[in-house]
Amino acid sequence: MTGKQLRQAALLLVAAAVALAFPGMVNNYWLSVGITALFYAIVAASWALLVGYAGQFSFGQMAFVSMGAYTSGALARYLDVPIPLGILAGIALCALTGCGIGYICLRMRGPYLALFTVAFSEVFRIILVSEAEVTGGNGGLEIPPLFHTLSDKPYYYLFLALLAGTLILMGLLVRSRWGLFFRAIRENEDAAAAAGVKVVRFRLLAFMIAASFAGLAGGFFGHYVAILTPDIGSVDQMGLVVAMAVIGGAESLLAATAGAILVEFLLEALRAYSEWRLVLFAVVLLLTVRFARNGLLALAVQSAARLVRRRPAAVPAREPV
Amino acid sequence: MEPLIEARGLTKRFGGIVAVNGLDLAVHPGELVGLIGPNGSGKTTTINMMTGHLRPSAGEVYVRGTRADGSPPSRFAALKVGRTFQITQLFSRMTLMENMLVPGLARPHSHRAEATRQARLHLDFLGLAKLETLQARHLSGGQQKLLELGRALMLDPDILFLDEPFAGVNPFLRDEIIALIQKLHADGRTFVIVDHDIEAIQRLVNRLVVMALGRKIADGAVDDVSHDPEVLRAYAGV
Repeated sequence: MTGKQLRQAALLLVAAAVALAFPGMVNNYWLSVGITALFYAIVAASWALLVGYAGQFSFGQMAFVSMGAYTSGALARYLDVPIPLGILAGIALCALTGCGIGYICLRMRGPYLALFTVAFSEVFRIILVSEAEVTGGNGGLEIPPLFHTLSDKPYYYLFLALLAGTLILMGLLVRSRWGLFFRAIRENEDAAAAAGVKVVRFRLLAFMIAASFAGLAGGFFGHYVAILTPDIGSVDQMGLVVAMAVIGGAESLLAATAGAILVEFLLEALRAYSEWRLVLFAVVLLLTVRFARNGLLALAVQSAARLVRRRPAAVPAREPV
Repeated sequence: MEPLIEARGLTKRFGGIVAVNGLDLAVHPGELVGLIGPNGSGKTTTINMMTGHLRPSAGEVYVRGTRADGSPPSRFAALKVGRTFQITQLFSRMTLMENMLVPGLARPHSHRAEATRQARLHLDFLGLAKLETLQARHLSGGQQKLLELGRALMLDPDILFLDEPFAGVNPFLRDEIIALIQKLHADGRTFVIVDHDIEAIQRLVNRLVVMALGRKIADGAVDDVSHDPEVLRAYAGV
């Protein structure tokens, strides 16, 4: 194991220990903040996979969260479908829709792709508002919860397990040949095609996989909050996810995840400052994009590692006797 | 002998402009063909159509007798047709090894260990072996040209289209690239080389194809073509 890998492993172990001990250290309010942070972390990781690795700039992830949540919620509420089956159905629908969006957007790049996905998100949100008989419209749709307990602890550990599973699966994916092809397409589609990569297939796969993880997060989160409103898939929410991933570092799954957790906790901690906290985050986001394109957390970790390497030994090595 | 790659009546229109007009071109195994012509004569458009990067408006492309026009570039790559680009196209923020592994692992039934071994062999051949963990964006212009050639070699291509391999390259490196191409040709690979560097092209190839205004105006041995009056008129205004 190299020094860098050892440091990463140690950091992950500490993070895992803190995450496991967290429910014992906080009240129910902060526990629910923790659950929300874990939910956003899964969505931010899925966005990082699509944008940071595959280079497909999409604003559609929260629409897929919404799709996963409403599919599972409506199936459970109206057809008494078991919740796990409903969540699977939501994931499948998100994968199919993601594939469809990817196919329609095959010739779109950069701002055009982003605008298309914004339009898709808004159309989906407006459908949810308009079809109030089924979706409950802006009044919300009550759906059964996953656990009938007073404490949120089961939800917390469930989301922690979901995040761990998501990161492991995505980590395996980005280290596989698929991950290599995603990055090649991000860097240069023409060169990737000339190198034999089936660009269309892998662009569609990236959309499908990212949409599936967003649908998974949405499905579980819907049954946690137990009341769904169309705003969950709004552009505002998507902007928040983008800010989380960019501040953390969109080209690293772990950095995007950490960014989501950090931003969610800071947003709650600074709640007393009302709208000014959003101004603060906007400024941080602008500075990140300008000065630390790989994200603030990635920059902080690199700087810390550099400092550790430069620090002279506190005690000079003894001469051999 | 069946051509390795053949264009029949290849035409490309961009709106009202005809960039390539009814081009016939057959390249046989073992040939080293130079494709030259003034700016805007349709050389790169021809390469783009013969490697799947552009869909022809009319005409056909055959690879070893199999019709392939309109197929994506990945199919041409699978048919062992490799290429480099006029403006070097690398995966800039990926290491040299990763650049090489993309085509290596895109091949059907490929294995990472074998692809890595092949990549190291090619990087060594190109003099880039010590830089395999460096990101491609940190290479010099000439080294980037070499890496792009190496990446194309990872397809184990039967034919390689090189689009301006000497553009922006210093004379020393140009001679090195010529030597590399000659070695690869001696090993049995077929080349079509597009370049404005007539001197380099004439030293290198055994057949010259000249294009002007989207048409092929000459095709033959270097000595014959370079003294062709129509070529002199179109190319040098003589």
